[in-house]
Amino acid sequence: MATDLPIHANGTAAPRADEDAGDNQQAVKEGLARMLKGGVIMDVVNAEQARIAEEAGAAAVMALERVPADIRADGGVARMSDPKMIQEIMAAVTIPVMAKARIGHFVECQILEALGVDYIDESEVLTPADPTHHVEKAPFRVPFVCGCRNLGEALRRIAEGAAMIRTKGEAGTGDVVEAVRHMRTVNAEIARAAGMNIEELRMYARELGAPFELLKRTAELKRLPVVNFAAGGVATPADAALMMQLGCDGVFVGSGIFKSGDAAKRARAIVQAVTHYKDAKVLAEVSRDLGEAMVGINTGAMAEGDRLAKRGV
Amino acid sequence: MPRTRITIGVLALQGAFTEHIELLHAAAATIPDHDFSFPEVRTPAELARCDALILPGGESTTMSLVAQRSGLLEPLRDFVKAARKPTWGTCAGLILLSESANRTKAGGQDLIGGLDVRVSRNHFGRQVDSFEAGLHLDFIADPQRPFRSVFIRAPVVERLLPHVEGVQAEEASKEDTVVAPSVPVREEGRKALSDHVEVLARLPREARALGKSATAGELGEAGDIIAVRQGNVFGTSFHPELTGDARIHAWWLKGVVEAVEQRDRAS
Repeated sequence: MATDLPIHANGTAAPRADEDAGDNQQAVKEGLARMLKGGVIMDVVNAEQARIAEEAGAAAVMALERVPADIRADGGVARMSDPKMIQEIMAAVTIPVMAKARIGHFVECQILEALGVDYIDESEVLTPADPTHHVEKAPFRVPFVCGCRNLGEALRRIAEGAAMIRTKGEAGTGDVVEAVRHMRTVNAEIARAAGMNIEELRMYARELGAPFELLKRTAELKRLPVVNFAAGGVATPADAALMMQLGCDGVFVGSGIFKSGDAAKRARAIVQAVTHYKDAKVLAEVSRDLGEAMVGINTGAMAEGDRLAKRGV
Repeated sequence: MPRTRITIGVLALQGAFTEHIELLHAAAATIPDHDFSFPEVRTPAELARCDALILPGGESTTMSLVAQRSGLLEPLRDFVKAARKPTWGTCAGLILLSESANRTKAGGQDLIGGLDVRVSRNHFGRQVDSFEAGLHLDFIADPQRPFRSVFIRAPVVERLLPHVEGVQAEEASKEDTVVAPSVPVREEGRKALSDHVEVLARLPREARALGKSATAGELGEAGDIIAVRQGNVFGTSFHPELTGDARIHAWWLKGVVEAVEQRDRAS
């Protein structure tokens, strides 16, 4: 069952001695993620799709040149999108616009920040630029969202300054199984941590490769200390509601919308499903007559080398 | 005899609604002798049970589209404008409670209305322009202690409008401006209706520039309007639900209790 994210006035940053001083950027960054809760963030490749997403009720859009399904089909190196296209999308809608940078490519992040995007997704969907390091995200004024497969990955990203987390799932497949696996893994590891005493937690932090203080806080909260969305394989209203019932705070939909038969209708249906995720009658109603879902790739039959989720541990 | 049970809903279509519920619980501890409940509201039936309502921060376009598709837009207008039950909107909620809004998405957006003001959406710019500032609010407890307020892609009240019967026709004639439809007030709400919009707080420009706290009074009339009240409709452009400081919630909750008890006496 979903656990609500309690308020922490400073965000995950350390409390400050002088509460009257300056603005707390971590609280502001994590604050925007809180405003996106209960919402759907949709991948769009041009201004027209962005407008369809906005009219469907998307809480934000992710601007990128190719949706993950096409990145898979095309192969080659996937990079940050053309700033021209990102700016066209920013001009077309009033909701927040996110954009993706390659893992470890801090200059792409600097460029996206200069463009004024509202969130950066340091994403495994693009080809990693650094084999070992992620971007040090805290110094940026723009907030970051990062993917995870398990609690260790999530807490390492938060330690680097990510203000929001999402499951990696397996992008561009339309197969929700990996997103479910990642959410269940995070939940199980948090439940395990919540039952531990302080000595055990120190050992578990070492085992996970996660900072002890963040793990301790997570164990106390019984959930991740930042907003956590589902991503990677969500294709139907039922998929979206499934991820919400598993405890996600909201949902990213990538290829699932604009690779389907009637994108606008499916987008609206997924938005309704995320709000009314516990109401099976509403879910039945919005799932009716949506036309063709994206064809999809069964991740079980996928070659190891084709898996994007392995990138960036 | 005053009733003891008061139901205050938080609109839970999208956004930061759980944060409001957490702070309402904290605020309720300051008001003994009452039994409060703070349900999430997603349906007309859930709204019908409420004595008062909070519209949280989130994306106002999303909330307004989902409200419309969930059959909740007209019941919300009835709640706020016909019954005039106590309502508070923060950020996106303030936008929805305004009679007029500009800088909306292409094609505009549906408003609920209730406050005779025009809001400017995303007034300060994009997320990189979002900020936190300490405010001195003279209407809350311990007013000397600054209230940490978070402004996230925040709107401001750009203009106070004269109260009119019916829609804000002059506003409707302006380019890129949307207005809320008219909903006649019902008898039960007449006492709570006011034609006067009170400015409760401004954001001193210097406070924002320096990251320091200052009162609007020290800086004259300069500074953007960030909190308003008209009758029992209240709006803030910032997010008291993100600070962990329950003083604004406690002040509002006290007002709700008075309004509900007054209404009970009248009926």
